[in-house]
Amino acid sequence: MTTEIRSTTWVNTDHPAPAQKPPVTEVGVIGWLRANLFSSVGNTILTLVTAVALYFIVTGLVRWVSGAFWQPVWENRKLFAVGLYPIAQMWQPAAVLLMVSALFGLSAGRWGSIMRNLGVGLAALLLLFAIIPIGAQAQLVMAAGLGLLLIGYIAGARVPIASRWLALAWVLSMPATFILLAGGLNLPALGVRWQFVPFVEVNLWGGLMLTMLLAVVGIALSFPIGVLLALGRRSKLPVIKWFCVGYIELIRGVPLITLLFMGMTMLPLFLPSGWGNPSLLVRAMTAITLFSAAYLAENVRGGLQAIPKGQYEAADALGLSAFDSLRFIILPQALTKVIPAIVGQFIGLFKDTSLASLVGLLELVAVGKAVIQQPEWLGTPGGIAREVYVFIAVVFFVFSYGMSFASRKLESKLGFGKRQ
Amino acid sequence: MASSTFPTARPPFYRDTRVIAIVLQLIFLIALLLTGWFLYSNMVARLAASNTAAGGALSWAFLNQTAGFGISEGPAFRPDESYGRAFLVGVANTLRVGVVGIVLATLLGLFAGIARVSTNWLLSRLAAVYVEIFRSTPLLVQLLFWYVGVIAALPSIQEATELGNLGYLTNRGIHLTWIFITETGRMWLIWLLAGFVLGVVVGWLRRRQLERNGLTGSAALPGVLVFLALAVIGYFAADMTASMPEATAYELRRGDRGTLFEDVNRNGVYEPGVDRTLAYVPIKLFDRDGQVVATGLTEGDGTFRFINLPAEAVRLEWETPAPLAVSEPQLQGFNFRGGLSLTPEFAALLIALVVYTGAFIAEIVRAGISAVNKGQWEASRALGLNTGQTLRLIVLPQALRVIIPPLTSQYLNLVKNSSLAIAVGYPDLFNVSRTIVNQTGAEVQVILMVMGTYLSFSLITSLFMNWYNKRIALVER
Repeated sequence: MTTEIRSTTWVNTDHPAPAQKPPVTEVGVIGWLRANLFSSVGNTILTLVTAVALYFIVTGLVRWVSGAFWQPVWENRKLFAVGLYPIAQMWQPAAVLLMVSALFGLSAGRWGSIMRNLGVGLAALLLLFAIIPIGAQAQLVMAAGLGLLLIGYIAGARVPIASRWLALAWVLSMPATFILLAGGLNLPALGVRWQFVPFVEVNLWGGLMLTMLLAVVGIALSFPIGVLLALGRRSKLPVIKWFCVGYIELIRGVPLITLLFMGMTMLPLFLPSGWGNPSLLVRAMTAITLFSAAYLAENVRGGLQAIPKGQYEAADALGLSAFDSLRFIILPQALTKVIPAIVGQFIGLFKDTSLASLVGLLELVAVGKAVIQQPEWLGTPGGIAREVYVFIAVVFFVFSYGMSFASRKLESKLGFGKRQ
Repeated sequence: MASSTFPTARPPFYRDTRVIAIVLQLIFLIALLLTGWFLYSNMVARLAASNTAAGGALSWAFLNQTAGFGISEGPAFRPDESYGRAFLVGVANTLRVGVVGIVLATLLGLFAGIARVSTNWLLSRLAAVYVEIFRSTPLLVQLLFWYVGVIAALPSIQEATELGNLGYLTNRGIHLTWIFITETGRMWLIWLLAGFVLGVVVGWLRRRQLERNGLTGSAALPGVLVFLALAVIGYFAADMTASMPEATAYELRRGDRGTLFEDVNRNGVYEPGVDRTLAYVPIKLFDRDGQVVATGLTEGDGTFRFINLPAEAVRLEWETPAPLAVSEPQLQGFNFRGGLSLTPEFAALLIALVVYTGAFIAEIVRAGISAVNKGQWEASRALGLNTGQTLRLIVLPQALRVIIPPLTSQYLNLVKNSSLAIAVGYPDLFNVSRTIVNQTGAEVQVILMVMGTYLSFSLITSLFMNWYNKRIALVER
């Protein structure tokens, strides 16, 4: 008997199969639309409903913006920028702006990362205001600021400036700003009174300048306190630990506005009678600093907790003292990790400074209220409140969103918050 | 041979870390006490020099003094009541806006957060724009915008914008049609409570039975059904057995207004504080000829008032109301009566808090959902669950573990942010406390009371949320 063995194997000689074009419904614009807007019946209905809602929102918004009465905002632009600061001495805030631009440029060139992102944002704003006809002198200052920023950037990138000198320059820029804006130094408690131009009393400072000043001072002054509190909270010494825990939780448990009012009315009470009463600005800054320190401490604590135990042990093994191990090993790592969190806190503080308007400081929101009450607009049908508050909201939005955008870019670069 | 250099003796005391630790803490404590004493003595000296109503003394006697100011909304408050009670009314107002705000902000945030991770591009973009706009602008600016720019710009009462049957929008407040629990509703509330307890018990028993027998199924469903059944039965039972109090009496003034009340001491006269007013009771007014001139409902405070009656009323009849009554706002003269009225201040504060906090909650929900491993979605799809089921059964329970802790701090922020009420004049805890300070000068005491109250809110909320967090936490072996 013979068995015939037949091959049951089929071999594709036509290999590889000729490539076919993907179906037109799966790629390109149509594919994208199908996947993202019309993937199912429910999704299609959702898309249509959203589109209708969007249509009404956008057309309503466009109609309102084009029909709104923007003249009060435009005519009061100086008030919104610097408050009641005397016109004749406007070169002083201008000088501060130039100094900050130059420092930003240098830092962006030297350090890169978040400073570069923020520097780009600042450059865009300076460019915008150099073009918009807000006034020849102001435009000139903005253009000069932009120039300094660019020169600083190139210089910072080319010349290896020691980081510590740049940091020192930033630290010194703070008292320099105050001296420049005030036109001198006036510390009655120490008997110091020196001026190079007529004094500008702090109650004349206002607008966006004051908002910025409150937020920057709040973060900068609270930084050392916050770091100490964070270290104290992790300390093994019970007295120090419980003091820090108590402080942080107490401050975080109450609204900022209670602290602001407390600063306004109780801060003078706490000082000896001979010292007189500190200015409103100092009281508000004290309250904001004490408030911000508690939140900063929690952020820094997060960074400290993220440092592996081995780092502490390695520092001990190298024979570093407790102070040196903090200074050279722990804090540099912990603080780099919490930069995004601190930027986030700065944004929060920047928004929170609007509360200072409730205790009599002439910052952005208070300027807005003053503009609404100006007699020349009282007859406007519908009032001008909407325009003014929308404008203020836009100003806050540009800065807050810009900063959070810069911080998010940094986060993605550092690889934080990445999940599969 | 030299002896070992290994130190065997104890180090000198000034290099002993244990001693150093104690000394450091002592120094810290002494510095703290000295600073505290310095501040305190300054304060006492300055207070003594000042001439406030409290006389510079840190006494609490002001709490029992007559307040002399009215509070525009919230629990009834008369100017002849004490400062202490005024403060409590402020606390109640803070809780009112806080609790309603938390519920609405959670709903808005959940919706926007899920919309943000939706596969629908348009919807997720829209949600993202909402979140970014409202997160990046200060709450105070938003609040002032809603108050001055939106609510104050609504039409006047005479030309109120009508929302169908739902209510009216005016620049003097928002008036909504609302369902109220009436006089006979108390009986029904008892049924509801019983149904709730029974429902929980049934749910618990069912869960135990399911676990014992290794069955799958919903333990909550039977409990919910029991509750609903009792609620429905209770409603009809309460409706049928309901009766008005024996000593119901009314007071009619000027022929068109008055109060319906239970005459507790049976003297025929309405005495506030003694007699109990009867809310949401249907009434009929009759004139001298026995003709009906008007029908309506009493209000939440038992009062009624009619404008432009065809004839003066002389007699009133009432009916026994059902447990629930629908009350629609009606324009009478220069204001709306009936329904639920929200003052412009409350409405602005509530809208601002809900929209602002909702944006933050949306971001938390989004982060929580994207924290769930993509494999969980894919595994769930592989098991044949649809998107809704996946979200409800697989993703949200896991996301909740990430969501709860930051959500707690958003709730606390909402309550703390309600102190911005002072910017629009809503009489919350902080606003009332400022009025008290301005009248008594008891700065230090009132600040302590305010801080203590906010701290206890924080503490209670975190305790509750920690308990809930522990319940839903991942059980690990």
